[in-house]
Amino acid sequence: MQLRLGLGAILAAVFLVTYAIPNWVSSPSNVRNIVLSPLFWPYILGGLTGVVGLGLAFAGWREAGGEAVNEAIPDPQAGAVRLVAFAVLMALTFWVMPVLGMVWTSMLAFVALAFLVKTRHPAAAVICAVVVPLILYAFFAHVASVAIPQGDLVRLP
Amino acid sequence: MSLYDSLMAGLSLVGNWEALLSLAIGIVIGVVGGAIPGISATMAVALALPFTFPMEPINGILLLLGVYKGGIFGGSIPAILIKTPGTPASSATILDGHPLAARGEAGRALGMALWASCTADFVSNLALIFFAGFLASFALSFGPPEFFALILFSLTIIAGVSGESLLRGALSALLGLLLATIGLDLVYGTNRFTFGDPNLMGGLNFIAVLIGLFAIPEVINMVWHPTGHVGKVQKLGSKWVTFAEYRRSFRSIIRGSFIGVFLGSIPGIGAAPAAFLSYSEARRKSPNKANFGKGEIEGVAASEAGNNGVAGATLIPLLALGVPGDVITAIIIGAFMVHGLQPGPMMFVLNVDIIYGLFIGLILSSGILFVVGGLAIRGFRPVADIPKRILMPMVLVLCIYGVFAVNNNIFDVGVMFVMGWVGFAMGRLHVPPAPFLIAFILGPLLEDNFRQSMLMSGGSPDILLRGPITWFFWGLTVIAVVAIARGTMRARRAGA
Repeated sequence: MQLRLGLGAILAAVFLVTYAIPNWVSSPSNVRNIVLSPLFWPYILGGLTGVVGLGLAFAGWREAGGEAVNEAIPDPQAGAVRLVAFAVLMALTFWVMPVLGMVWTSMLAFVALAFLVKTRHPAAAVICAVVVPLILYAFFAHVASVAIPQGDLVRLP
Repeated sequence: MSLYDSLMAGLSLVGNWEALLSLAIGIVIGVVGGAIPGISATMAVALALPFTFPMEPINGILLLLGVYKGGIFGGSIPAILIKTPGTPASSATILDGHPLAARGEAGRALGMALWASCTADFVSNLALIFFAGFLASFALSFGPPEFFALILFSLTIIAGVSGESLLRGALSALLGLLLATIGLDLVYGTNRFTFGDPNLMGGLNFIAVLIGLFAIPEVINMVWHPTGHVGKVQKLGSKWVTFAEYRRSFRSIIRGSFIGVFLGSIPGIGAAPAAFLSYSEARRKSPNKANFGKGEIEGVAASEAGNNGVAGATLIPLLALGVPGDVITAIIIGAFMVHGLQPGPMMFVLNVDIIYGLFIGLILSSGILFVVGGLAIRGFRPVADIPKRILMPMVLVLCIYGVFAVNNNIFDVGVMFVMGWVGFAMGRLHVPPAPFLIAFILGPLLEDNFRQSMLMSGGSPDILLRGPITWFFWGLTVIAVVAIARGTMRARRAGA
């Protein structure tokens, strides 16, 4: 794992130094001294990432087999499916929030997540899914004066 | 302003029920959060942070400090009852606390943990009050080169929070430093990794990054392994700690408190090493040496004194120098910033009322912790029984509201989600998230002071070594790097 992490860091450093920094960091043409340039710091960090990547790769190569491993789970395939489903849930939450409003989206996200992790208390989950976002809405909208997104469909007082 | 005037100004801020209530609520949240394995004191502080935005600055900061102190004590509850430390700082408490719980004396162990925690907390708060002002007045003579040297030294704290691999910690820190470069350049105002998106021009929101990094990965871990948390809670038992036992352990408690204060005032050491050092010193000096590790009450007292001794002392570098002493104070610095306060030497000049208000509040917090902790020990079981598969969706919704509330910006919620996956990946790859966060905070300060120094000197690096203060911090940095290298080599040799 350490070897792969090191190689990943080296690739990231190469990408940063050869493509990302020249293209995505802009610098005025009249900078007198390189250390004052907006490019200087990112280049230093990119270079250090490469050095640390080399160190990780070397350490991983020397200590192959002696690394910490993650705790095994009973069904990794089902776990991976749940992760993908959760990523989709996060993306939907982000995109749907301006349309449905934060309260309704949070309720749906709560229920979806509770069922995704196979809660043994579905009724309690549904009740909490309704109550928790409403309490948070009441606090943030009416106590903290935060303009919680209401959405285009049902608006709360 | 005289000391008396400063004290009165501080008292006028905290001498009201709102401030005391904020502190008490914070301690309750902290104890509960620390007591629930998987929440931790760090996450509890991160989750409580957005709720402090509409509060008065002093009340909001007191609430967070209450969460911090409560969380450190709360971590000992599951450490003793279910052999799972609620916070890393409580790891040493397991050694003697859990054997006591296993023979039906959990109440005795928890009682001693509470007494030792409150005593150490009080000692630590006194240390903060006596040393922070002195350090701040010294720091007033700092310029950009001095701050650059100080922050560079502070970055060596990353070694203390890197866990099993220093290289992984360094990689994590570099990722944090790189993400901190996103936004408009500090000197020229040009774009850096903004892709023309106005949301990115101010940089990534600190709160979104930290909540994403610390809270969301717990939710993702739950999705990955929904039944990974299942465990059993021991009974409290009828036996309670006695004053004679407290008196017998008093020397270890005071020694542990001073160890905590000393290590806590050095950025990056953290509470866990303090707890272990205090425990090993107590074992070395105790007449009951042979009983340590098998359920010795003095062992519980020593480890809890060590970790709580850190709690006030980590605020010394935060308040005096503006440098966070550990991850939790790194989060608390966000609360200062949100309220327009910049911790550091100037705060002792411009906001002396808030400083003294905090001091008074912290002294009161030890007493409140004693009361709340005593109730929490008895009331912990129903709290711990909240099903985790309902708790985690609550955490998700809380995070969404909290992060949105910072800037009223849904983009920040997206940043939090992305950072959640980054944190999860880091966890799977055993890359610690704490160095990332510390580097993310210190990165802009480091670059800003470096470039200001270069502007002052016309590009000459000599300015970075211009006087005794810079020499001092460069010397400390060299010593820290040598110590880290020696420690790493020794650990490698021991493992070989």
